[in-house]
Amino acid sequence: MRRWWSKVTRALGRRRNLADELQQEMDAHLQFLMDENLERGMRPEDARAVARREFGNMTRVRERSYHSWQFPAFESLVQDVRYAARGIWKARAFSLIVILTLAVGIGANTAIFSAVYAVLLKPLPFPSGERLVWLGESSAKATGISVTWLNYEHWRTENRSFASMAGFQKMDFTLTGRGQAVLTRAGVVTSEFFRLTGSHPIMGRLFTASDEEPQTAETVVVTQAFWVKTLSADPEIVGKTITLNGTAYIVIGVLARDPKFFLQPIDYYLPLRPSPAQASKRDAHGGMHVLGLLKPGFTLAQARSDVDTIMQRLAEADPGPEDDHRVFAEFLSAEQTGDLGHVFVLLMASVCLVMILACANIGGLLLIRMTTRAREMAIRTAIGAGRSRLARMLVTETVLISLVGGGLGILLAGLGLRAIEVLGPRDIPRLSEASLNVPVLSFAAALTVAVALVCSLVPMLSSSKVNLAILLKESSTGSGASRIGHVLRGGLVIAEIAVALVLLFTSGILLRSLWAAEAVNPGFESGHLLALELQLPPLPYKSDAPILDFYRRLEAELRAQQGVESVSEVNCPPGAGDCNDWWYSVVERPALRREDVPLTLVNMADGAYFQTMRIPLIAGRALSDEDRAGTPAVAVINEEIARAWWKDPRSAIGQHIKVGGPYMKGPVVEIVGVAADVRQFGLDSSSAPEIYFPPAQRVDGAMVVMIRTRGNPENMDAAVRRTLASIDGNVPIQSLKTADMWLGATLQQRRFTTLLLVLFAGIAVILASIGCYGVFNFWISCRRQEIAIRMAMGAGTIAILRRTGRQAARLGVIGLVAGLAGSWGASRWLNSMVFGVSIHDPVVFVSAVLAAFLIVLLSAAVPLWRATQIDPIETLHEA
Amino acid sequence: MPYIGSVSTVDELPDGEKLELLQGTLEVLILRSLKLEANHAYGISQFLQQQSDSEFLVDNGSMYPALQRLLQREWISAEWKISPNGRRARYYSLTQAGRKQLVKATSKWERFALAMARILAPEG
Repeated sequence: MRRWWSKVTRALGRRRNLADELQQEMDAHLQFLMDENLERGMRPEDARAVARREFGNMTRVRERSYHSWQFPAFESLVQDVRYAARGIWKARAFSLIVILTLAVGIGANTAIFSAVYAVLLKPLPFPSGERLVWLGESSAKATGISVTWLNYEHWRTENRSFASMAGFQKMDFTLTGRGQAVLTRAGVVTSEFFRLTGSHPIMGRLFTASDEEPQTAETVVVTQAFWVKTLSADPEIVGKTITLNGTAYIVIGVLARDPKFFLQPIDYYLPLRPSPAQASKRDAHGGMHVLGLLKPGFTLAQARSDVDTIMQRLAEADPGPEDDHRVFAEFLSAEQTGDLGHVFVLLMASVCLVMILACANIGGLLLIRMTTRAREMAIRTAIGAGRSRLARMLVTETVLISLVGGGLGILLAGLGLRAIEVLGPRDIPRLSEASLNVPVLSFAAALTVAVALVCSLVPMLSSSKVNLAILLKESSTGSGASRIGHVLRGGLVIAEIAVALVLLFTSGILLRSLWAAEAVNPGFESGHLLALELQLPPLPYKSDAPILDFYRRLEAELRAQQGVESVSEVNCPPGAGDCNDWWYSVVERPALRREDVPLTLVNMADGAYFQTMRIPLIAGRALSDEDRAGTPAVAVINEEIARAWWKDPRSAIGQHIKVGGPYMKGPVVEIVGVAADVRQFGLDSSSAPEIYFPPAQRVDGAMVVMIRTRGNPENMDAAVRRTLASIDGNVPIQSLKTADMWLGATLQQRRFTTLLLVLFAGIAVILASIGCYGVFNFWISCRRQEIAIRMAMGAGTIAILRRTGRQAARLGVIGLVAGLAGSWGASRWLNSMVFGVSIHDPVVFVSAVLAAFLIVLLSAAVPLWRATQIDPIETLHEA
Repeated sequence: MPYIGSVSTVDELPDGEKLELLQGTLEVLILRSLKLEANHAYGISQFLQQQSDSEFLVDNGSMYPALQRLLQREWISAEWKISPNGRRARYYSLTQAGRKQLVKATSKWERFALAMARILAPEG
């Protein structure tokens, strides 16, 4: 090994030193021989000549000594690389295009792959993360409903397919007693949660079953980040208390690292304790879901049927309104990513198409270059380079250029990742963890090697048919008419146009969808509207009266501010999604079967809400501040519900809604008004049924205060904060942003996907144009003489254009047809991402085809123009 | 002076000419020549010529590569020094490994020479 290494260093670095040293040594040797000859009395010239003769052939000594230093195979590799580098340098423009093309292709692929890896492929950071299952309940109407405590207890103790189970839920608490009141996030979990997520304490202990006992003191385990930031890294924190929602919790431990199980960062963990109702009733839902660790060897389907059996048994033993509930189980990894898999497959597929384009381009360029280099190859063969040596030289050249391109591509991917970090939507789990890690770099390396191998096949294929005699006699550019090259080049043009068309079509559909989504009328006026999201701490806001009083005072104070037009409060503003939903029925209609009872969004809005938001009232009246606890229970329904039950929305007025449906407890309310639909789930969603209740009849401490301003709503920011602090400084602000931001956030993911696809389509268009241009240009160069002869025989410009253009047109048409077929296939894939346009939208189809046609036209235009500018006399003289 | 390579076959060995070195012998002889003191290439060839009563003529085309091979195997080491007559020369000396190699090779060559002599000795 050491000898081998010393050879390498000799061969590489010390080569020149060794040669110098040998020369000096031989000079010294000669000197000794000369000295001796001088002593014998020779004349100096003779002494030197004789010494030289005595020494022997110096060159032979040198060569044989060199030989003992070198690694023959390695040396010739070094020589190959040197030749290759020289070849690349000699054709700078060509090499630059190839390297940039490769860099873009490999860079885009690597960046997207790193995102795909982080979001979809990377194992969850938990021990046995691949066996973790997310469990909820499901009914005929909904899946993933929260699990009740009693059901969880039965599942946990009676199942046969899970090694262990933990309940978890997320809750917000207000932390007081440590400066300004702050809103903090808690993971409320059962004791097994920490073992399932592989969490350890750096201080104190984690929960045990005793922490879940209802009578014991409240305990809390804080995360390291919270301990450092909020608790000033107090080394004696264990045993001290923190005040959450007015209750003291004893800190029993500090977590070494947050398991990052929840999407949002968690500040601390509390033991999950069921309320008395939850501990006794099987249909008392909280917000809890269940995490289960599948026993090795059990499948998800087995686990589902196992828990379903328990649910069936419970339905018989303890019948209730939810006897039809079954289990909903997904692997945690699948549950967290949801339908993102679809999005990323689309992105990965498009970026692969870009890579194919890049490869086709490079292949085409190499093919053209090989034809122009045919003469060089012939000369090399003539002066004795073996076929394998030539092939090795060509492959080395391609591999070297691929490596340079790949390296540059990885740099580009690094930049791309920074961009994704900045621009990427926040709601994609683990996207921020995307980095150039080992699997990603291996992917990039494998891709580079694959590209290098594929691309080096091209010159090999075309060089294997070199006919020496013919080539040396031919003109310098070569004929370029070899059959195989011809077919390959035509195929390249077709493929490039087809791929570009597919990407143009896909990005066009998504772009139209994005535009449609952005142009959607949200159902209210979103400009000049500021939303202040609040959650009142339970102390002193224990009962309805202080809550109502707080919001009444806040509204009055805000309304008095300069620049405020109107103020009102709502529980769930448009774009906030599903804050609450429940079953309902219409009292005046026959009761539906249990499984047919519909669901509706449930919202609370005060008297001025529809006016502040400018939501049109279609019938009846708005809610008013006169609808109080003592007055008749009323509600406003949205148009979606009204149209579902009545032909004319006006007939709904005076009818009654039974909240909870016929089979559940709930109040009966009178419909007093019908409001137009708003996009509760965001701009790219359809409208959903919704019922608004007066806040005084359904009190909630969590409300969003909507402030309609006269000027720029963001200028009101400070005034709003001041006003809130003047009423109660202990109320934390959950968020303060404009209504446009609430709505815009719902499109973030769509914007991101669309942006990437448009970017890929753009790259594809550039690559395809370059590729087609190269091929067309080459054709014209090869046919200069033919064209010159035709011109000399009297062919006009039109005739020349027709002849040369026909071929380009034929390839273009085949490419377009292939691309259309591909787009048709791809459109099925896009189905779930399309919004507001048809998947086979004719506008997009036509524009994509036109754009692809333009590629052909533009890339053919310059070469065709050159064809008409050929000077027949000059060209024919060249031959 | 006849030109002598490093490879020999029996029928090539001319009568009365200087002896050609057998494959692998030159390296052992170089090691032997460095046993007592460091020496330069010219000195080594002088030593071999004198010690063999001018029977061996060392070809520089064989000796220099042999020196390089010995250096690579780290049986000898080299350093530039001033010779007694004031010339700068590259002096080779035995390393510890070289010394061990010399002992091994010497015993091997002694056995080889003895066996050759027994077979070639006149009968009786």
